Amino acid sequence: MLEERGFATVALASVRAQAEKTRPPRALWTTSQMGRPLGEPNDPAFQRRVILAALALLDRTDGPVILADFTEDPPGWTDAPGWVPPVLPDGFAAELAAILPLWHQAQTRHGRTSVGLSFLAPEAWPGFTARFLAGELPVTAPFETAALSLRFVCDDIKALYGEAAQAVGAAPSARQVDAWFWRQTAAGRLLLALRDTAMASDNNALKTVGGRFFVPVPWLP
Amino acid sequence: MARIEDIPQPTRDAVLAVPCPSFETTPFVVGPPLAERRVAIVSSAALIRRGDMPFSFGSAECRFLPASTPVSDILVSHVSINFDRAGFQRDVNVVYPIERLRELAAEGVIGGVAETHYTVMGSTDPVGMVAAADQIAGQLRQERIDSILLSPV
Repeated sequence: MLEERGFATVALASVRAQAEKTRPPRALWTTSQMGRPLGEPNDPAFQRRVILAALALLDRTDGPVILADFTEDPPGWTDAPGWVPPVLPDGFAAELAAILPLWHQAQTRHGRTSVGLSFLAPEAWPGFTARFLAGELPVTAPFETAALSLRFVCDDIKALYGEAAQAVGAAPSARQVDAWFWRQTAAGRLLLALRDTAMASDNNALKTVGGRFFVPVPWLP
Repeated sequence: MARIEDIPQPTRDAVLAVPCPSFETTPFVVGPPLAERRVAIVSSAALIRRGDMPFSFGSAECRFLPASTPVSDILVSHVSINFDRAGFQRDVNVVYPIERLRELAAEGVIGGVAETHYTVMGSTDPVGMVAAADQIAGQLRQERIDSILLSPV
């Protein structure tokens, strides 16, 4: 649509089959994981190779459809043998309290946090989620529904744990972070329980949001 | 997760089954050499500035992201839970490569970087995004931007 309006576009394509179907004017298919179109975090040299390969397509005139391949795998695709997952106490509240210092370390290491969608401080998460498990439907500002309030708390829980897992030492692969979170943490078990609660709820919005947006399908029991 | 065999099931089948829009025309805009091009980013990650409302599911809106926004204030509010966030958590540039573009502009590889970048909810059918495309195009013209890097998640 932007090309129709007179602008040259080049797309990074994570799924080649989709680029083949949509046929954008210029696309660079990369082997990066979905969610990392530039490939490798904290690897400016790798990112630069990707972006230069993409921008180079702007100079080509052999359209109207160009699909090029960038087949260099990002180094972080493979699991990091040196990564050690945090050892944490059982129970979500205790686990969260124990992981908060790691999360603060992660913020120092990476200069930022991606937590913040829920507008709720981490210290409030155990009480807030417990109310859902007890059958209540609490709503937190600025959201207008319990479903959205809970969805964004779930997003923030996953983000905080993901960052804490990357706070020190070797950088884990995305697979390692996910496997640890969904199989080894009380937070992962909490999100599965919240999904079950949402799915059994009479509140249709909560049922829909819980069924689709709390737990990725590959990590369902 | 570009190699389709690397995507775990059943996400793999779901990704392949995603309806893809088809377009009747195949516009292809040519322009000046790369060293003279002024480039903006369009991200489908539903990026927001910290403190803003997250995108809603099915939103066809476009939001402007000033290039001056500190990367520490940029969050992903995309509804999908089927793509990796760990990379973004370490480095915003894997989704929104603003620092890489600035470097390329400083080196003269590209002509410049836009003052405004753009973000949409990638799970929304683009057929409903005509108004958003017009909005983006208007701002691009104001800033004399000729080229766009589309960065999907």
